[in-house]
Amino acid sequence: MTVDKGNKLARVVLENSRGSTPATDPKLDTGSQKRIGDQLRAMYDELMQQPVPDRFRDLLDQLDKKNGAKEGSQ
Amino acid sequence: MTPEPEPELREALLAAVPSLRAFAISLSGQVDRADDLVQDTLLRALANLHRFEPGTNLNAWLFTILRNLFHSEYRKRRREVEDPDGSYAGRLKVQPEQSSHLDFEDFRSALAKLPADQREALLLVGASGFSYEEAAHICGCAVGTIKSRVNRARFRLASLLNVEDIDDLGPDSMTRAALQG
Repeated sequence: MTVDKGNKLARVVLENSRGSTPATDPKLDTGSQKRIGDQLRAMYDELMQQPVPDRFRDLLDQLDKKNGAKEGSQ
Repeated sequence: MTPEPEPELREALLAAVPSLRAFAISLSGQVDRADDLVQDTLLRALANLHRFEPGTNLNAWLFTILRNLFHSEYRKRRREVEDPDGSYAGRLKVQPEQSSHLDFEDFRSALAKLPADQREALLLVGASGFSYEEAAHICGCAVGTIKSRVNRARFRLASLLNVEDIDDLGPDSMTRAALQG
């Protein structure tokens, strides 16, 4: 299967490069790096687009009020 | 001394919530737990405002707090739960309503398979927009360690997702990439 083949090859390369250059980690080619990066950001952007739950707004509002009251009483 | 309740600060904290949530959700794989983490982060930040140096990166400071909370909780849970990585993957799978786009399903489960330190480094640098230096500061480790973790995370993800073309995997392209990098 293609998937298995790819993974096996990746492991072989990993071990080879470890053997020859122990101080350096293997690096992906730029194209693969970009594809991984794009997917990661797309997934992340979707999370960032989610509306802020009210609990956080409420929490900060409450603290504002508390602080405001403290200031007034001083 | 009570810190001044500056409205700009409230806005800045509120503005940081989406990125804190995205980080916490990606880190923990659980929306409920992530929201608790974000809430604890905000409370701790407000209680420690006097420690924040104005002019420095507020987001980096908040991420540091969140990350530390996550890890102290993780260590606690680890004593209770064997195979924390497996449970992470399991939780991701039982939350179909959280991952509205099936496209990301593979990516999420691959991300879940990474060791926590690699996942964290990749999220900070590759998604949250921090520099290697900032990420190193947030994680309390050397810049080289972050670079290495990000590198290994990408490599592992590519392997899990089978991103590379088979041809790209030859030793020649690896050598080229190593020389470029």
